[in-house]
Amino acid sequence: MARINNDGQWIVMLGFIISIILVFLALIVNQSALVGKTTSESVLEFPKSEIQDLRAEIMEYYWTDDLNNPYFLPDLHRLSLERKGSVVYYVPGERIEIHYNNGFTEYNEKTLGGN
Amino acid sequence: MVNDDGQLYTIEGIAAALMIVVTAYLVVSTTTVLTQQDVHIIDLQLQQLGNDALAMMDTPNKYWDKSNLSIFIEGNKTNEFHNQFLAYLNAESGSGMITGNYEYNATIYYQNSTEINSYVFYESQEYYRENSVKVRRWVFLSDSSPLLPDLDFSVNRTVLLEVQLWRE
Repeated sequence: MARINNDGQWIVMLGFIISIILVFLALIVNQSALVGKTTSESVLEFPKSEIQDLRAEIMEYYWTDDLNNPYFLPDLHRLSLERKGSVVYYVPGERIEIHYNNGFTEYNEKTLGGN
Repeated sequence: MVNDDGQLYTIEGIAAALMIVVTAYLVVSTTTVLTQQDVHIIDLQLQQLGNDALAMMDTPNKYWDKSNLSIFIEGNKTNEFHNQFLAYLNAESGSGMITGNYEYNATIYYQNSTEINSYVFYESQEYYRENSVKVRRWVFLSDSSPLLPDLDFSVNRTVLLEVQLWRE
């Protein structure tokens, strides 16, 4: 029987190592793509504009000295719940309390007014 | 006599083929995820753009002035609203590519004495389930609006302007 010629062992081993490295590199690329997806999703989910808008609207009433308007709080409350799925509340007073909660993000503030 | 000198080469070939298949699968699945990520970034930019445009329209030019958004809704000025909203969306630096046409539907939601009602303020095109985002803005109304006849305007009122925005 002929003797097995094992002169090529090094080449075989290098081939294995390189392909395993390739698999790992592909895994890393895969992960990095997921990171970009989750980042943009979390930015989309964060209600920055909603809170700024709520605050601006409350300030509008504060400047016209109308925070005790009988319609404002019920309107804000029901429309928010129905159209935005968020719970909002404010308490007029020396310091205005502003509360916002959409299930993911909760925001509470006590402000003297101003922007 | 069977010559088995090539055994090692055969095993190497099979192993290499397996690894190429696994790598190709990983690369293909990566590309699919990249497409989804792309969609999210476009949504994100569109939503930000819409919110910014509405915020600018809701900001008065000077202290004690009414905001443009209030003026448009109180005066039923649909065309002015359309022109200004589109102008803000399409504001470009002058260099770079043109980003394409925007379509949107604007609806006013308000609460009368019994229920929540809506009024379609502007409809630029019918919505056929394109990839769209919704942006909303509270609008302060200190005078009555002919669009909302069942609303009690004896005091200041707040309505919600909801804009569904998409690219053509």
